Amino acid sequence: MSVIEHTSHDAGHGSGAPPNRRNILMRPGFVRAAWCFALFFLVGLYLVAGIRWLAGWDPVYDWNIIVLVGGLTLAPIGFLLGLGSFDYWLYWISGRPTIPDDHANHGAHTWKDYFKVNTDHKVIGVQYLVTTFIFFTLGGLMAMLFRAELAQPGMQFMDNQTYNGLVSMHAALMIFVFIIPAFAGLANFAVPLMLGAPDMAFPRLNALSFWFLPIAGTMFLCSFLAPGGAFATGWTSYAPLASEQPIGQIFFNMGVQWAGASSILTALNFLVTIITMRAPGMTFWRMPLLVWANFTTSLLVVIATPFIAGSQFFVMFDRIMHTSFFVPADGGYVLGYQHIFWFYSHPAVYIMILPGFGIISEIISVMSRKPIFGYRLMAMSLLGILVLGFSVWAHHMFVAGMADWLRVPMMISTLLIAVPTGVKVFSWLATLWEGRIKLNTPMLFSLGFISMFVIGGLSGIYLASVPITIHASDTYFIVAHIHYVLFGGSVLTVFAGIYYWFPKMTGRMYNERLGKLHFWLTFISFNLTFFPMHWVGLVGMPRRVADYSDRFADLNLFVTISSFALGASVVVFFYNMIVSWARGPIAESNPWRAMTLEWQVSSPPPIFNFDEIPQVVGGPYEYGVPGARHAILTGGGTPAAKEAHA
Amino acid sequence: MSAHAEALHGGDHHGPPPANQSSRIAPTILGMFLFIGTEAMLFGSFFAAYFFVRVVNPDAPSTWPPAPNEFPQFVAGINTAILVTSSFTMHWALQSIKRNNRRGLQAGLLLTILMGTAFLLTQFIEYAHIGFNTSDGAFASVFFGLTGLHGAHVLVGLLLLTFAANRAFRGHYSPEHHHGVELPGIYWHFVDVMWIVVYVTVYLI
Repeated sequence: MSVIEHTSHDAGHGSGAPPNRRNILMRPGFVRAAWCFALFFLVGLYLVAGIRWLAGWDPVYDWNIIVLVGGLTLAPIGFLLGLGSFDYWLYWISGRPTIPDDHANHGAHTWKDYFKVNTDHKVIGVQYLVTTFIFFTLGGLMAMLFRAELAQPGMQFMDNQTYNGLVSMHAALMIFVFIIPAFAGLANFAVPLMLGAPDMAFPRLNALSFWFLPIAGTMFLCSFLAPGGAFATGWTSYAPLASEQPIGQIFFNMGVQWAGASSILTALNFLVTIITMRAPGMTFWRMPLLVWANFTTSLLVVIATPFIAGSQFFVMFDRIMHTSFFVPADGGYVLGYQHIFWFYSHPAVYIMILPGFGIISEIISVMSRKPIFGYRLMAMSLLGILVLGFSVWAHHMFVAGMADWLRVPMMISTLLIAVPTGVKVFSWLATLWEGRIKLNTPMLFSLGFISMFVIGGLSGIYLASVPITIHASDTYFIVAHIHYVLFGGSVLTVFAGIYYWFPKMTGRMYNERLGKLHFWLTFISFNLTFFPMHWVGLVGMPRRVADYSDRFADLNLFVTISSFALGASVVVFFYNMIVSWARGPIAESNPWRAMTLEWQVSSPPPIFNFDEIPQVVGGPYEYGVPGARHAILTGGGTPAAKEAHA
Repeated sequence: MSAHAEALHGGDHHGPPPANQSSRIAPTILGMFLFIGTEAMLFGSFFAAYFFVRVVNPDAPSTWPPAPNEFPQFVAGINTAILVTSSFTMHWALQSIKRNNRRGLQAGLLLTILMGTAFLLTQFIEYAHIGFNTSDGAFASVFFGLTGLHGAHVLVGLLLLTFAANRAFRGHYSPEHHHGVELPGIYWHFVDVMWIVVYVTVYLI
């Protein structure tokens, strides 16, 4: 008897027919996904109805619960099953020989391979980016819709509930299914390459985490179809308001669970990859800062994200099972929601910016042709932000009626976070100092990021102090602040990262002139859109209200026009990306003459990244240091690699 | 496609070529520990809700549970003993396969599954006879929240153990390769430890 154990070293492949010869209904793919989706929904429906019928509860068909169990939990699982996410595991747990499906599902040979459960981290990275940019577009269109409503005082196109639904949807899409996973996508592509690893530690789990994401985003969007309209409680979804809203709210609660599960599993995967799969010689102090950034971010995700899962569970329990977690009349504690929610969601703002810090560190060093200033301090400041990030959540609750004694400690710890963040900003500036700066598109976005993030950071320090928050809370000043750190900060780094790795991902070069045009349009219209919001906020215009006083009319019209320009600037980006991917000039393997490992292999990289595992011999940023090498590659190295340190 | 794969890797291997192992801990074990870390934090959010309802809330009940409700400490105590014992049988199963004792592995897994099932059934019967419902106030929300979350984890643990047992009876696992037993084992011990915390905080103090 052959004794078989463990995933990657199983003995026989097997008796099962090759997947592509099976009937289209049974073959993993969208057809099987469709009927499994329907089947699992029906299972959920009859499960709920059956239990309610047996227990004698009325009504037997309670659509609140059926939507939750059948539609938002079981049906997506059915979809994933049909798509083939679980095939390997199901074979494994049943003790049957596993089908050798991995290589067929690894790497992309045609465009169709991007629509499969693909286990190649490079393909998954691209899947992430394309998916997140679809949600980015939809979220942006919604922003333009409600900006149109805000062009004039009074109510023009929509009622309050619709307006709040659009605002909430905009935020939920942008935060949960655009920024966080877009970083996961870039890191998915770059991190294993930078480490000298052939793939992530758990490729199938990686594929599964990606496919959670379209489910989460679609779930958010489907709430528009629910009776009573989309969820309209803002992205914070405060209880007890959230447990009393129409049924669309459940789509938010569950969508967050799917997106959260996706980011937890990805983070776990990153941590294991970074700890166990580094190339020989790649000590922690030789890792590129993008890897450091994702290491820190993943720790944050693993520790904090379960808290938002918990908070959304409580809201759903309050609605479905009539519990009283947040019902004061029955002994519940309303502020509990905010504490638990912000215990995740404050660290989440670092989840949304730390990977961006990593991207910027790469680009600034490469494009200035200088070693990054204070490499170790850059890594340590990430860890400092990680630790401090858990001690500041209640600064979101200064006006919520929480205990007074919590205010000042939270204010001080919030101000302290400016120290590690300042370390990073000054290190970037010091890296630029006397460098041979190349002002290409990734570098422009990086410089744009630094300047905008400093503005957002300064208004953050401003808001950290209790008296200012009391004045500015729930005004457009907050909206301006969050967009300076999330758009001017995170989104600009996402653009920088995409332009930087575009040649590596596609093997083609983007159009530099269009890239620069995109940057300047974005940079200018972004400032025209969000800078005036500081002003209207400070003089008292409240957020989350569809109507406003006549005295804000001129500035709001100006903001609306600028926001349309901002929307238009994205068209330049999409045009550049699509046309360059299809017909752009063939890119060299190392167009930026960078030292990190991903640039030492062909563009796009070979299916398993490296022919031989590289040997790391030095730091990743020794630009201009005579004779310095980051790594020695045998076989897979390209001539350009040897010039990288010039 | 598979011809291409075989040309690359000799055809007897799934997934990418082996990476450099830069840490002594096996990736699967590290992954399980990290997963348990997030699970502990999920329990943490439920304990936070418990803390808010019982301690922070100005209207917190003076007795726990608020009279006239009672938690069945004795039955839950027996249940605790069952679950703790099942951790030992789980350990026995793992030690057995390390010493190439297949019968011990099979018996250990079966006993663990039996005790886990007994725990869940007892919990279910306890729910049916406890005398209050989820809608009977915040203490009940916390009680059903924490014990229910834990029960869901027992269920997942039982599923994992069933998979392991299925493979154990089909002749898989060896003294060298037994991650498939070790991983559910780690998870099971976590579920067990978590129960002790839940039992102490919710039922006893």
